[in-house]
Amino acid sequence: MKILALVLCVPLIGGAPGQKVLAADSASIDDERAARWKTISESVFGDRKIEPTETLIKLDAPQRAQDAALTPVTLIMPEKDKIKSVYLVIDDNPSPLAAHVTFGPAADPGSLQLRVRVDTYTNVHAVAETRDGSLFGAVVFVKASGGCSAPVASTDEEAMKGMGEMRMRFTEGAAPGKPMQATLMVRHPNFNGMQMNQLTRNYTPPRYVDKLSVSYGDSKIFDLEADISLSTNPVITFSFVPEGKGPVKVVASDTMNGRWEQSFDMPATTN
Amino acid sequence: MRALIETAATAAIILGTALVPAVAHAGSTADIPEPQGLWIGAMHGPTPKMLSGAVVVDLAAIEALMAGKPLLLDVGPAVRKPENFPTDRPWLPIHRSIPNAIWMPGAGAAPLDVGREELFYRRIEELTHGDKAKPIVVFCRPECWGGWNAGKRLVTKGYTNVRWFPAGTDGWQDKRETAEVEPDTEWFAEPTR
Repeated sequence: MKILALVLCVPLIGGAPGQKVLAADSASIDDERAARWKTISESVFGDRKIEPTETLIKLDAPQRAQDAALTPVTLIMPEKDKIKSVYLVIDDNPSPLAAHVTFGPAADPGSLQLRVRVDTYTNVHAVAETRDGSLFGAVVFVKASGGCSAPVASTDEEAMKGMGEMRMRFTEGAAPGKPMQATLMVRHPNFNGMQMNQLTRNYTPPRYVDKLSVSYGDSKIFDLEADISLSTNPVITFSFVPEGKGPVKVVASDTMNGRWEQSFDMPATTN
Repeated sequence: MRALIETAATAAIILGTALVPAVAHAGSTADIPEPQGLWIGAMHGPTPKMLSGAVVVDLAAIEALMAGKPLLLDVGPAVRKPENFPTDRPWLPIHRSIPNAIWMPGAGAAPLDVGREELFYRRIEELTHGDKAKPIVVFCRPECWGGWNAGKRLVTKGYTNVRWFPAGTDGWQDKRETAEVEPDTEWFAEPTR
């Protein structure tokens, strides 16, 4: 029993000792999760304070995800005019910072949806950065597991077919100056280095989309920085205000110097 | 004394749940036959319903065993840091398991280097204080041959009280709280193959 205890409480993360709590009851696991969030938020935001909020950012995620490799997460920002950028953090993923989205002048930052991988039952945090530089956070607990090691396809070649191809779906009823929603799909395996090729039993080398930049005409809608927590074939639903001439232009890049550009014409406007 | 605990635990299992190997276990839909020796195919995939020489257990059965302080052996894989992972983003891997579990990532891989396999047996001998009848609960994630293989290794080595928990860490965290665990220091966190 002495040996059993020995292994359990070695501080997990270098640089943040003294915060580990031996978890046996729910109070200590809450402490443990809070300590985890503290470590992550210090790593991402330094000593900037994150205020809890009920109004500036909300998270909508399935309490129990059907597919941990394709968990839909929606960030809702009701006071959208105040929002400069949003962060999505999946606490117990090995790379917790799943995405940082910075909105540009053509954005309608009221909501944003992403599909992510979830490795184990975890807290998911959304943090909004307002235009004055303050941070506000919300949290939900998501029951999903195994999303990070789930194989992408039966072979790597198959998974990489058509890499960089994009599709865009616009909502109906576009009108000049009125916000509209669009869903962008980028074909990319987003290999995270943890998926094993079931035939060779080697790990597929990591290769994932790390930047997405979307503009309307010359005006930026958003910049997305991401890494291995985005699902295979990343999908992002966003809103923007089409003023002046389009088209919607997307530039995507990945960690192996892949770069793809595509433009999408808006559907005809209706009055 | 230990025999008493064992008897109590066994009784609790019988009262509680799935001692009977014939009971179909969640997680495997197909009827996968037990391999003769260790499974050397892909580690992720449906596993047999049985492990000859060991008892297949579910959550209730493990909880019934807890009073007897079994060795909880997690052989789930460790995550791998992508080689080109940017230095300015946080990399903070965490492994959640049954509280007080000993985590030996990849100990169910097969084939395993001779030296690693010997180390595995030596660690188990240390952790059980040389008691071949010590209850050992071996697990991984669901659909993980590593858990099955690790159990098979123990049975083959003469351990007489091996329990295999195929639902693994997911089966546990679905109903119970987990704890962060570090890899066993002797075994160290080598990524699994």
